[in-house]
Amino acid sequence: MISIRQVSKSYGSFQVLSDCSTEIKKGEVIVVCGPSGSGKSTLIKCVNGLEPFQSGEIIVDGISVGDPRTKLSTLRARVGMVFQHFELFPHMTIVDNLTLAQVKVLGRSRDEAAEKGLKLLERVGLKAHANKHPGALSGGQQQRVAIARALSMDPIAMLFDEPTSALDPEMINEVLDVMVELANEGMTMMCVTHEMGFARKVAHRVIFMDQGRIVEDAPKDDFFGQPRSERAQQFLSKILHH
Amino acid sequence: MAYNWNWAIFLSETPSGESTYLGWLLTGLQWTVTLSLSAWIIALTVGSLFGVLRTVPNRWLSMLAAAYVETFRNVPLLVQLFLWYFVLPELLPRGMGDAFKQLNPLMQQYIAATLCLGLFTGARVSEQVRSGIGALPRGQRNAALALGLTLPQAYRHVMLPMAFRLVIPPLTSEFLNIFKNSAVATTIGLIELSRQAQQLVDYTAQPYEAFIAVTLMYVMINVTVMFFMRRLEQKVRVPGYLGGNPS
Amino acid sequence: MNDAYDGYGFDWSSIPGALPLLAKGLSITFEVTVTAIVVGIIWGTLLAVARLSKSKLLSTAAAGYVNLFRSVPLVMVILWFYLIVPQLLKSVFGEGIADIRLASALCAFALFEAAYYSEIIRAGIQSVSRGQASAALALGLTPGQTMRLVILPQAFRNMLPLLLTQAIILFQDTSLVYVIGLSDFFGTAYKVGDRDGRLVELLLFAGAVYFVFCFSASQIVRHLQRRFVK
Repeated sequence: MISIRQVSKSYGSFQVLSDCSTEIKKGEVIVVCGPSGSGKSTLIKCVNGLEPFQSGEIIVDGISVGDPRTKLSTLRARVGMVFQHFELFPHMTIVDNLTLAQVKVLGRSRDEAAEKGLKLLERVGLKAHANKHPGALSGGQQQRVAIARALSMDPIAMLFDEPTSALDPEMINEVLDVMVELANEGMTMMCVTHEMGFARKVAHRVIFMDQGRIVEDAPKDDFFGQPRSERAQQFLSKILHH
Repeated sequence: MAYNWNWAIFLSETPSGESTYLGWLLTGLQWTVTLSLSAWIIALTVGSLFGVLRTVPNRWLSMLAAAYVETFRNVPLLVQLFLWYFVLPELLPRGMGDAFKQLNPLMQQYIAATLCLGLFTGARVSEQVRSGIGALPRGQRNAALALGLTLPQAYRHVMLPMAFRLVIPPLTSEFLNIFKNSAVATTIGLIELSRQAQQLVDYTAQPYEAFIAVTLMYVMINVTVMFFMRRLEQKVRVPGYLGGNPS
Repeated sequence: MNDAYDGYGFDWSSIPGALPLLAKGLSITFEVTVTAIVVGIIWGTLLAVARLSKSKLLSTAAAGYVNLFRSVPLVMVILWFYLIVPQLLKSVFGEGIADIRLASALCAFALFEAAYYSEIIRAGIQSVSRGQASAALALGLTPGQTMRLVILPQAFRNMLPLLLTQAIILFQDTSLVYVIGLSDFFGTAYKVGDRDGRLVELLLFAGAVYFVFCFSASQIVRHLQRRFVK
């Protein structure tokens, strides 16, 4: 569904990504982890073209992201993304946040979009907040709305860019629960996260990145059982003893 | 230094007999307001457009917008007004220049002053709009794009609505400035408030009454504009942001 | 109607001969600008301090001054001072003051700019953290010393770019002395153009000169700003 082939990217002389390759099959859940500055957020943003890359190729559902002829907005509409800082639109109510792109991008009617939006809000347990503004919600609630917003586009895959790292600890689980549920339903997911509990529970594979490279790309059990690289071992022990 | 105050002067007839001096001032007020509002429409339109252009990922467009801003910010308003009024009609193709010169003088003054004030203020507005867009978290743009919105849609539905809310206070002061700056039109003879003040000085020998009245009118304009802009600010306030109360 | 553009016949020849006059005009422009900056900043600082003072009377008076000047067009302020200053001068010095227009313009700009400077300075003072004042007072400095030795130096550093930007605006605004017929740079350019029937050339020339000055100055300010930002 998503194949990343020899992708490299640099800002001037600084190499952000070098020669990254991996393959994500339909229904697979991939967790990407690594120290900060390892390029994991950049990599995930390359998948829907939010970050341009200089060489290599990313194919999402048969469409090349780097091809200048690709209409990125169409591609992005089919790939959901959830951000570290939620990025709900503060001037719109929750339900308007969910309907905006459905109406403007998919051309759904307002009623149809609202109906779908409310259904998804119900699913993440926030239907009662539909007419509030994002500023009135807690961080955990906002992130659940952000997931519902991405789902409202009926995505073929979901990208999560550190979805819990801006949250207070007591709110992390409510977001992870939604993600676990999604994974169990068979959604294709690429998640940049340090939540190893989440990875153990639902990930099929774990990718470990360092200094712009994919250092390790292994099935979950192998990764947690015996990471081959020393850096991954160090990283894991740091995270686990946190 | 005995000065004979005579506030009744405003009620006496002007030499031509068709109006009172108060009538003159009200005509002046009308022109000040008309000129300022029409220039503000130009300023907001042009300023928003160029402010957006300065933030788009296209070097030529943003350079074009920067050139506009630098030109109109670095030449005095008075010089710009004279360029619009005296110089441009000479440099236009003859037909257009002549057509302009054949308009009645008041119309000529009004057109030149409106364009001048509008584009002058537009340059300032565009800087505010640009900084408003720049102050938004970058993630907002990404989030809008990630949903599949095109860049123009992201601007229209996500970034501009927030950016405009952020810059209401500086835009208010530009709006106030446009009323004050409209007084410059006196130099090309447009009969706005400060021209009428000078006329009254010439005709009545009661300069203080005239100046006090006109000054108060400007203060009044100021207070009115502030009142409406505050109302606007409260109306569009986003709950939970920018000092709004979480509901 | 002949719509063909046969071009305007530019003739720049009256400019070289007028350069000495224009230079004299420019010196007046600078005189007004510099006076207004110096007096404006000093008087503006006092107004800002008064506005932030605990005395209700002082702060109200300062706020009234600032708000009044800021709600009236500069053109009106210049006209006001041209009405008041000559009479004052006459009653103090009798007839025969050399340049009534210049004196009026100097007063108008100095007092007008003070209102604008005081707002910048007030914001600058408020940008210095409260802890700084507490620390200075805790060391035994008097409130006056605290303001002069601790708060203001930091405030001025923070607001230098804004003060300079205001100075550029002021430099442009001095052209408005045209309304009282004072021959500053712009006034001189206009008069020369009018005299020689070359208004187009002289106005374009004046615009270009202002642009060169202001654009260079604003580039310098931008450069400073980049270096100053914490």
